[in-house]
Amino acid sequence: MRLKLLSCEVFHREMCAVAARSPNTVDMKFLPKGLHDRGGAVMRHVLQECIDEAEPEPAEAVVLGYGLCNNSLAGLRAAGKPLVVPRAHDCLAILMGGREQFSRYFEKNPGTYFLSSGWLERGRTASQPASAGGSATRGAFGMSWEQLVEQYGEENAAYLVEQERESTAHYDRVAFFRMGVDPDDRFEEEARGVAEEKGWLFTLLPGNLRLLQALVDGDWPDEDFLTVPPEHEIGLTYDDRIIRAVPPSG
Amino acid sequence: MARNEELYNAVAAGKRRDVQRIVQECLDREGDALELLNESMIPAMQEVGEKFSRGEAFIPEMLVAARAMQAGVNLIEPILVKSGHKATGKVCIGAVKGDLHDIGKNLVAIMLRSAGYEVIDLGTDCDVDKFREAVEKQGAQAVLASALLSTTMSYMEKLVEGFRDRPDIPVIIGGAPVTEEFAEQIGAAGYGKDAGAAVHAVRRLVPASA
Repeated sequence: MRLKLLSCEVFHREMCAVAARSPNTVDMKFLPKGLHDRGGAVMRHVLQECIDEAEPEPAEAVVLGYGLCNNSLAGLRAAGKPLVVPRAHDCLAILMGGREQFSRYFEKNPGTYFLSSGWLERGRTASQPASAGGSATRGAFGMSWEQLVEQYGEENAAYLVEQERESTAHYDRVAFFRMGVDPDDRFEEEARGVAEEKGWLFTLLPGNLRLLQALVDGDWPDEDFLTVPPEHEIGLTYDDRIIRAVPPSG
Repeated sequence: MARNEELYNAVAAGKRRDVQRIVQECLDREGDALELLNESMIPAMQEVGEKFSRGEAFIPEMLVAARAMQAGVNLIEPILVKSGHKATGKVCIGAVKGDLHDIGKNLVAIMLRSAGYEVIDLGTDCDVDKFREAVEKQGAQAVLASALLSTTMSYMEKLVEGFRDRPDIPVIIGGAPVTEEFAEQIGAAGYGKDAGAAVHAVRRLVPASA
């Protein structure tokens, strides 16, 4: 089978690894992690364009390397091919291999800041508690310190940096997903460095490629994946199943 | 007196010092500070809120405007209290159990305060008991709950359930993943898709104090 994969780049290394092992031919397209930061409407619009563009391609189905991502997928429409989506709230549940596993961990450790190779390598935004420079020059809300000063003035810029710092004040640990696809321990060490700098605990989480592998292998049990028939849309269930297929809203 | 353009623009642009100066000047000459609040500051904050809804302004704009607004309100508040001006109503607000994010919630709180409400801020990670205590012991007339994660959003259903025996207390929900459809599904009395809409929902659901 031939599949078209549209994936967030935070899964770049993992997706390449599972696609290499897949019996299917997987045409891959990665989209910037920054889409997530621009809000649901922008992300939905860009993804819809990619789905529609894939229509004339030879793939039999379009598969998404995305979680629900703050409802960003809600309203996405399958074109002439089925659209397959993991049932997950976000990339963390996907990296953990399932939403139940993630919920269990998150309930016990709500103050966890999760990192993976993709987040460190490609997902960096100013909103992350990263080790980018001294606090005096640190930006906030995706803007550099200079941009903040230019737009809001120095006093407000300092306030905004402080607000963002406070918004991460509840974190007490960094958890790094060990996915088994890294070249060495460079990302793990970088994550450890973030934890040290912040004075947080550091934990390793055994990642699980199960969902990602199944996604590109075409192994889509209803329990783990939603298959949206052609011309149908992704709707929300607000329960453990997270998403469902709904007839087009017109 | 109509709108004070300078004050309106200062709030909208988040110019805290200018807001303080203009309000203080008004107070010094014993001008009508309440009018400044109602005619200039609240409309300015509303405009920023509306721009935010339309995607023309972002969280930083909201934060600096709210902060400038708050600086002005802080100067006016003692005068209002002295003159026996009553709060429009009293509400409590918090991020639901498991959710530790509060920027959005804080914005809603500031918007409500600037709209004349007394706001009991319960912080983050609030369970049903915490909200109930604010209602029963502190007299909150409405419960506002936020969630930033779709994983914590499901607690809102328990919250609505927890107030089933208090139909007089509207539960109003909001937060990035929360939708109107979800609010209806769990039976929440109100839904705010952003901070401005949350204030509208409170206005609609909380009877103004006499």
